[in-house]
Amino acid sequence: MGIFLRVQPQVEAFNASIPAEPQLYELSNGAGIYLIDAGTEEVMRTDFIFRAGMVREYLPLLATTTNMMLAEGTLNYNARELSSTLDYYGIFMNLYAEKDIAGLTLYFLSKHARKAMELAGEILFRPVFPGNELDLMMKKRINWFRISRGKTQNLAMDNFFEAIFGSRHPYGRKVTEADFGKMTSQLVKDFHSMHYSPEEMTVLVSGKINGNITGLLEDFYGGLSSGYIYREDPENILSESRERKIKIAKRGSVQSSFRIGKRTINKRHPDYPGLKFLNTLLGGYFGSRLMKNLREEKGYTYGVHSSVSSFDLSGFMVISTDVGRQNAEKAAGEIFSELKRLQASPPTDEEMEVVRKYMMGEILRMFDGPFSIADSFRSVLDFGLNFDYYHRMAETIKSVTPDEIMRLANAYCKPEDMYEIKAG
Amino acid sequence: MISFSRFTLPNGMRVIVHYDSSTPLVAMNLLYDTGSKDEDPSKTGMAHLFEHLMFCGSANVPEYDLPLQLAGGENNAFTNNDITDYYLTIPAGNIETAFWLESDRMLQPAFSQEKLDVQKSVVIEEFKQRYLNQPYGDSMHLIRPLAYKVHPYRWPTIGMDISHVASVTMADALEFFRTFYSPRRAVLALAGNINPDKAYNLAGKWFGPVNGNIQFPRDLPQEPGQNKARDLYVERNVPADALYKVWHIGRRGDSDYYTLDLLTDLLAGGDSGRLYNRLVRELRMFSEINAYITADIEPGLIIMTGKIMKGTDLKKAESALNEVIDNLKDKEPAEDEMEKVRNKFESATVLSNTNIMNKALNLSVNELLGDPGLINTEVERFRAVTGPMASAAARKYLDSGNCTTLYYKSTGRK
Repeated sequence: MGIFLRVQPQVEAFNASIPAEPQLYELSNGAGIYLIDAGTEEVMRTDFIFRAGMVREYLPLLATTTNMMLAEGTLNYNARELSSTLDYYGIFMNLYAEKDIAGLTLYFLSKHARKAMELAGEILFRPVFPGNELDLMMKKRINWFRISRGKTQNLAMDNFFEAIFGSRHPYGRKVTEADFGKMTSQLVKDFHSMHYSPEEMTVLVSGKINGNITGLLEDFYGGLSSGYIYREDPENILSESRERKIKIAKRGSVQSSFRIGKRTINKRHPDYPGLKFLNTLLGGYFGSRLMKNLREEKGYTYGVHSSVSSFDLSGFMVISTDVGRQNAEKAAGEIFSELKRLQASPPTDEEMEVVRKYMMGEILRMFDGPFSIADSFRSVLDFGLNFDYYHRMAETIKSVTPDEIMRLANAYCKPEDMYEIKAG
Repeated sequence: MISFSRFTLPNGMRVIVHYDSSTPLVAMNLLYDTGSKDEDPSKTGMAHLFEHLMFCGSANVPEYDLPLQLAGGENNAFTNNDITDYYLTIPAGNIETAFWLESDRMLQPAFSQEKLDVQKSVVIEEFKQRYLNQPYGDSMHLIRPLAYKVHPYRWPTIGMDISHVASVTMADALEFFRTFYSPRRAVLALAGNINPDKAYNLAGKWFGPVNGNIQFPRDLPQEPGQNKARDLYVERNVPADALYKVWHIGRRGDSDYYTLDLLTDLLAGGDSGRLYNRLVRELRMFSEINAYITADIEPGLIIMTGKIMKGTDLKKAESALNEVIDNLKDKEPAEDEMEKVRNKFESATVLSNTNIMNKALNLSVNELLGDPGLINTEVERFRAVTGPMASAAARKYLDSGNCTTLYYKSTGRK
């Protein structure tokens, strides 16, 4: 027998396989339905999406409270009956209210599609917002709120948003304990009737779709309409803090949580795919510059991550890390020197190549299976974009040059523009 | 139904393949039958620290992550009481790169003193981030050594104390590798676009030459039965009081396992569970409450955790919790409540098997438990639990003498 040499196997090129655009159907009331029929197991997911996020609220907590209260009692089910019925049919419910979007996602076995659609109709369009349930909800939430204030990561993130979006805009406004006392059933009812309009919702169905799902949706929702249509509130204005370096003390803390970043372009901007590439190289994956420097070389932290995210009206870039107090200033110094390095010299071709391959693999993973496809579709749909965004992204991954990364760093990642929030 | 092929290499490594041609990817899960229960009590945290060291290069691979990323792969790992698990996904055409990388670090990791020092710092920061710098983060460090007096489940996987991690030497780490990282202790599962023949050939080619180390028999001290309640009061700078209660149960493979799983679902299966309905919705004494079983291979625990509403007395909250438990012991649950938890379990099981990474992990774990085919009978076994069985299990296990309680009091300061 010859000696077996453990040499690295040949690596094959591979392509991102971005699926065809989901087709749009319209219910008779005008609501849009997208279907993604894929997968091997008999399971489905339905996303009901509304422009009912925090950006629409004129009081803090209104969007999240309205959303969370949807399942606390409806015309035909009280809160307890509703949760038992969902569980009886093995339907998993996720209610969510983000900065721009709010809604409901259900996961269920395909055979229970009819029941799932019926219950979604109850939750979304027939909630009654009972006062006693609202009272309990606010009691629970204030308890959760106090616990979350005990975490330096949350303190740092809230102050970061306030710094880059302003204390008066819903993107940046901080919640206080007093806000929990202000919710009333009437406020929540009004917010619901303005922002959960059946004719303005978007529905995304994914998984192994059995039977006539569009017929079911038409039966349950096609005839629903609402009298209210929301108009933009011109008073919501984004602003930035003048102070760029903010420290929040936290007694007994053994680590400092950093959020370093700034407001930036969002998904609709042509430079966005390039900025995503830059971000990955800087701190978006395990092999990134920040992870190598702060974790793998210096052992300052368990993890450091950089991300670029989009909101409807803006976007932001943020570098996050938790560092032992003794190394906090050194770690922040390294983050800033990495930002400067990006501006001063182009990355090598070798480094670019690793990021290209890694990101190409990520695109494959983003479209693996019906629910991943649904997630990827949702994250462009909310911006009025389609899969074309991913084709542009794939093209950028293949062709962006080191000089272009340097240009983007100088345009979007100037160290002097960064806000530095430190909690603990 | 998840189909699979299974074979064992001459060196003792077990391989399971689930072929799914609908994905362009392959998930690889490499499970080592070693976890924090195998640690020296004076060097806790070793298994998890070693997981970090496995990413610091090996005999023929200077850096683990780089070639994987160049092949479009993504990976991570976790350690618990029982196992250390390494997992990745990669475009199907590049799966051989994964075989090369994983087999090389099973053959011989190659971390330096410098890398060891850096990873010790990283793990110490992880310890701080997840356990010391979080409200209630030390709760398991407090309750485990009270519930377990001799069994190694008495310390959490991260380690009992930072000083244990800080004191690990090169010799300690290498000895841990020699003792526990052997093909005989490894289960390799592949799920995705790879057919069993190809998997067999690649496994033989890359893992076949890795020699089996001497098999050290596992000889863990067995925990004596507990028949007297144990309590601990602590005060911490947290915003609300919290209550933690644990009861000893059997092994994951025991006949009562699914009965206990169902029992905790009856109690705490989300917002329709008994604990939530009674203690949060009706009495408003807790702001959140949860119960689960630890799914440990050695005799494990039922764990209940709750945060107390402001203004509620901790002892009164505990009495209300005990009433819910007593009610389950005294009165068998009605059939529709039983059917609800069974249906929810079925739905959760099917949903978790829609992802190739989960399938690969579940197949590996079931192989470790004795048969990967168990993955296909979980729902059936859960469905076989009856109301009388659930009440009998509540009487047997949720006994006050078998219980350890941690009263976690808020100092009330901000």
